Amino acid sequence: MSRLLAWLRRASTSVLPVALMAIFLLVSLWLLTAATENSTQFGRLHLLLVVLNILGLVILLGLIGASLLRLVQQYRRGATGSRLTARLVLIFVIMAVAPVSIVFYFSLGFVERGVDSWFDVLIDRAMDEALQLSKSALDMRMREHLRQTREIARRLGGTEDALLLFRLNELRAETGVNELVVASDSGRVIASSSSDARSIIPNLPDEVVLQQVRANDTYVALAPIEGRGLHARVAVRLAGEKERLLLALYPFPERVSRMADNVQSAYSKYKELVYLREPLKQTFSFTLFLVLLVSLFSAVWAAFYFAQRLVSPIRILAIGTRAVAAGNYQKRLPVTSNDELGSLVQSFSEMTHKISAAQQEARRSRRQVERERAYLRAVLGRLSSGVLTLDRDLTLRAVNAAASQILGANLEHATGRGLHRLEQEQPELAIFFRALRPHLEHAEVEWHEEISLNRSSGHRLLTCHGTHLPEVEGIPAGFVVVFEDVTALVQAQRDAAWGEVARRLAHEIKNPLTPIQLSAERLRRRYLQRMEPADAEVLDRATHTIVQQVEALQEMVQAFSEYAQTPRLELCDLELGKLVDEVLDLYRGNDTRVAFVLQQQTDLPRVKADPGRLRQLLHNLIRNAIDSLAGRPGGRIAISLYRRQGCVEMAIEDNGPGIPAEIFDKLFEPYATTKPRGTGLGLAVVKRIVEEHMGSLYAENTAHGARLVVRLPAVEQAGQTTSADLRATGSA
Amino acid sequence: MPEQTHSTLTPRRRPTTRAWLALLLCLFPLTGQAQGFSVRDTRTSLEDGVYRLDARLKLQLTAQPLEALKNGVPLQIALDIEVLRPRRYLWAAEVAALEQRFELRYHALTERYEVHNLNSGARHSYYSLASALQGLGRIRGLPVIDARLLDPDEHYLLNLGVRLEIDSLPVPLRMRAYLSGDWWLNSGWYSRDLRPRP
Repeated sequence: MSRLLAWLRRASTSVLPVALMAIFLLVSLWLLTAATENSTQFGRLHLLLVVLNILGLVILLGLIGASLLRLVQQYRRGATGSRLTARLVLIFVIMAVAPVSIVFYFSLGFVERGVDSWFDVLIDRAMDEALQLSKSALDMRMREHLRQTREIARRLGGTEDALLLFRLNELRAETGVNELVVASDSGRVIASSSSDARSIIPNLPDEVVLQQVRANDTYVALAPIEGRGLHARVAVRLAGEKERLLLALYPFPERVSRMADNVQSAYSKYKELVYLREPLKQTFSFTLFLVLLVSLFSAVWAAFYFAQRLVSPIRILAIGTRAVAAGNYQKRLPVTSNDELGSLVQSFSEMTHKISAAQQEARRSRRQVERERAYLRAVLGRLSSGVLTLDRDLTLRAVNAAASQILGANLEHATGRGLHRLEQEQPELAIFFRALRPHLEHAEVEWHEEISLNRSSGHRLLTCHGTHLPEVEGIPAGFVVVFEDVTALVQAQRDAAWGEVARRLAHEIKNPLTPIQLSAERLRRRYLQRMEPADAEVLDRATHTIVQQVEALQEMVQAFSEYAQTPRLELCDLELGKLVDEVLDLYRGNDTRVAFVLQQQTDLPRVKADPGRLRQLLHNLIRNAIDSLAGRPGGRIAISLYRRQGCVEMAIEDNGPGIPAEIFDKLFEPYATTKPRGTGLGLAVVKRIVEEHMGSLYAENTAHGARLVVRLPAVEQAGQTTSADLRATGSA
Repeated sequence: MPEQTHSTLTPRRRPTTRAWLALLLCLFPLTGQAQGFSVRDTRTSLEDGVYRLDARLKLQLTAQPLEALKNGVPLQIALDIEVLRPRRYLWAAEVAALEQRFELRYHALTERYEVHNLNSGARHSYYSLASALQGLGRIRGLPVIDARLLDPDEHYLLNLGVRLEIDSLPVPLRMRAYLSGDWWLNSGWYSRDLRPRP
């Protein structure tokens, strides 16, 4: 069923099959009309043609039904173009139906009147009277023949059966009768005489003739005999004792016979025509009705077809517009006609094509921009220098990872905030932002600044380069700040310088010290005994002072020498806690004024280190702490060990006065000391030892005192250190 | 009225069913009515190696064909004869088939009815319609099939039917004839055995 519907739907939209069918219907209608006009050739096809036409009409009706159904469905669904199609179909149908119906109405009238006009009362009467006239003319002849036959019968009366044939021949020749037959009452032939030599068997009368003769004694009637024209058949009863009949057959003259034939056939024809008048009208009307239906159905179907054809480009356009509205520019619209509507669809297609191309171009360039931006971001991300960009209003636009790392604050979430707000939000970085501000506010084209940053994790020295970006192609002007953490570099430079100083000192001062000491001692030995007691006392004091000071100088030179010349490290895996405990033991007994506390995390990893150097480090740190606690009651030194990020951290905390601000920056440099005596190399050596072990350290002031944190890389559980290449970096 | 009250109590056939029945009757007129054509009796005889058929047909015209005949419309009456050989699993095989056509016509001038055998060309005229139809319905010695064409061991069927030929009517009358039961005069098939004699 659905397949049939689908076929109907397809057939109703394709013009060829329907056009063929319309032509076929027209041809068959023409044949039907020809058959209706009683053409013998087509007459036989009449029924077939009627059936074919009705079948064609049913198919056409099916097609129209399918079209209508589809249109109704589309209309209900509110499909694009369905309203216009419906309106066009309605207009076309009205335009087709009205004239065809009018023509049909008048044609029906013409058929009625045309058929009726063939018949006339006068002709009717004339025909009837012609027949009557012919009949009476023939009747007269037949009465004459009856009289003749009676005469023959009278003359035959009493003739014996044996003479009958002879007598009959004689009488026939005498009267000019065609055939004379004497038959018995039951119709048996007794004797016959015929002028036609070919017919041996006489034309025998049927039962009706015999019955009529028995009843009325006579019978007379016209008898058309095949091949011999019209005859008059007369039968009379023969006088006599036996029941005998005389049958006579009289020919009509050929002219009379022909005329009678003509009258007969014309009358028959006319009578038939009159009789067929109503059926003829009906047949004509029926044919006309079929023509009407074929025209109507074809017109209605054509209305559907052309309405759909007309609306098709509009529907296509609507679909295209909807697709464009939905952002689909790829939709290709088929051009179904080459009229204005077709060219409209064509130009719409071209327009969407151009838009699509432009959009693709835009997408491509956007992708390129994104790629370039990603590239830039990658480059910035991998830069070791920190990069900040700000717009004209000093709002942070972009930050790279290195900037956050150097500044020790996650600035990537701070983009879009103003400099003022950043200062408030990040008090640790306020110095940094405050240092940038004057350059940015004056919009300096190029500037350079070194910024020293004090952070809890230590002192940082940053070098900043700033550039003012000019406005380019609508991108508002702004600033780029590039900065680097040069703390380590500067430190390394200082360390190197100090190393050099120490070496020179050791070399230049150590050498003259021994002769000075020896000379002082010789002076004392030689002159002290011989001098006056008063002079001797001066000498003793002076030489004593020289020797003492030289010794002090030698000690100092020794310390410098040690600082400058670091021995090779003897690394081994060791437990830091154990080592610290050992070192602390030395102090616990000696110094009762200070309390020592050791806290350590359980399962602390081991560190790879030189135990001798570490002991020195610990001594230096502890001594420093004890020194800072000098003269303060209730001193307390706490050492805590814990694991942090693959390292072991050792924090030494005291409750002393803290690190004075004036030396904080240079805490780990030689001669950074506030102590009245001491070389000032203690923390510098500590720093060197930590660096030799690939560690790091920093100092900070807490609420109670100072705190110094040393970080050393831990040995992995598998026995490997995190830093694969750990070796001494001491210089020669 | 009492009939009406009564009729409400009895179930009535729905009018739609009645309409359908009427339509069916119009489309498929019953054959073999009392007024129509029928075959009375048939007889076959073997003469000079040819099977011949004797038959008596009862031919009675209904009102409309009669009226048409009276108005000068010739009527054709066809006599169909076929010899079949029945088969066990298939439809019967046709051995021979012949059609005899007669034209019946009324002569207004002579007031006689003429029967014209269209196959042989023979014409007979009768004083009355009854005698014309009687004469037409008397089939005597109509050669049907040569005995040599029949297998003596087989058994054959001889079918005989007579009908009014609507297709030979004048076209205007034809549509009406197709749609009216009055015109559907058809005896249907009358069968008789035909056993060849050895």
